Amino acid sequence: MNTRRDTIDLLLQLAFLEGKITTHGLYEQTVPKRKPLMRSADTARAALAQKLEVALLSSRSRATSPLTLGTFLRGWRQHQSLRPQDVFSRLGISSNIYRMLERDRISPLKISLASWKKMRQFFQIPLNVLEDMIRRTHQLVYFRTSFRTTLARYDARKNKKMKAATLEKAAEELFARATLPLPQKEQEKLNAFLKALANDNV
Amino acid sequence: MARVSNQQIVRELKEGDRIGCRHLVDLYQWRLLGEATRVFRVPRVDAEELVNDVLLAVVNKISTFEFKRSDGDFHFWVMTIFRNRVRDFMRHRASTDGLWENFDEAALEDDKAYSASEREVVRSILQNYEETLTLPEDGEAPAKNSAGGALEAIAQALDKLETWERVLLRCRALEIPYEEIARQTGKPAKHLKVYHARVKKKFLNILAQYVPIAR
Repeated sequence: MNTRRDTIDLLLQLAFLEGKITTHGLYEQTVPKRKPLMRSADTARAALAQKLEVALLSSRSRATSPLTLGTFLRGWRQHQSLRPQDVFSRLGISSNIYRMLERDRISPLKISLASWKKMRQFFQIPLNVLEDMIRRTHQLVYFRTSFRTTLARYDARKNKKMKAATLEKAAEELFARATLPLPQKEQEKLNAFLKALANDNV
Repeated sequence: MARVSNQQIVRELKEGDRIGCRHLVDLYQWRLLGEATRVFRVPRVDAEELVNDVLLAVVNKISTFEFKRSDGDFHFWVMTIFRNRVRDFMRHRASTDGLWENFDEAALEDDKAYSASEREVVRSILQNYEETLTLPEDGEAPAKNSAGGALEAIAQALDKLETWERVLLRCRALEIPYEEIARQTGKPAKHLKVYHARVKKKFLNILAQYVPIAR
């Protein structure tokens, strides 16, 4: 059997890997039909499976701790298979405000302390978790204006809409995860709000 | 062991069931390892690392995966991740060791069907590809998207071939069996085997028109 590889084939492979040419799914369909050349040792397979199990556990714990109020509210509602209208009336807030909260489009500081108290009781969230979510959501809403300005300058002829949406999603996650310093005035406003929330719950 | 379906693996992984990881490894590790070493000629040690990375990415991103049409959706999704990892491996190799050095140059040199200028065409494309991946002196990161641009001529040259010729070249480069290609093109497998080398030669001649060679 000739085991040598033709250079033209390798050029074509590069073009395939770089997405310049396609087999319209034929390659992918062929893969499961091929005879296996080798199998890894049982120990290697077990080691890999163990590594994946650790990754699975950590990815699940990441997914179960919501970063912002929007993520939390959306996740909770979807888990309960409820519609937005089923939730906002129970929380005593308007439909618009609830929808904006779910999409992290409004600062939690704009919602009254009484409403937060109601929500905390309704969702049974510990105060420190709620404070953390309020802090992150406020930060996200505050900085969103600046990344929207940046996105407005973003231009690409192909898939502009999709790329912009991906970038925005990535930026949102980044802002939600990052610990960014707010301007002093804004920070003081947030601290005062959180202090009032804590006092209100004493 | 009874073969598990992709649907089952996805369900297990999404539910955080550890058995899903074992099923994923059982079904995909050897399959991807075979592809990496046999089709893309990735050295065994690198291939094992690459496949581990692919399966790790599958587990980490499983929450974003949704079936849209059939059980095969998952396989296609895994293969897309695999392809991207192999591409990254090739890019890394191109920007460090150089691809030409890793190619079996003798295969081309020995073949009397290829002239010196045709060999130069291949070398020129590879050099162009490598240059787009090399870090510029000002320290800026290379534009990864431009790496594909260096291979644009290949797609253009393929477009000049007849449909069956194009399918034959693309598929054989990925070691798809002649019988499978015969089903797609409607040409007998024997005929395709005979014509493969000639079509390659024809392709190279067309490619030469698109690639300027520095003399």
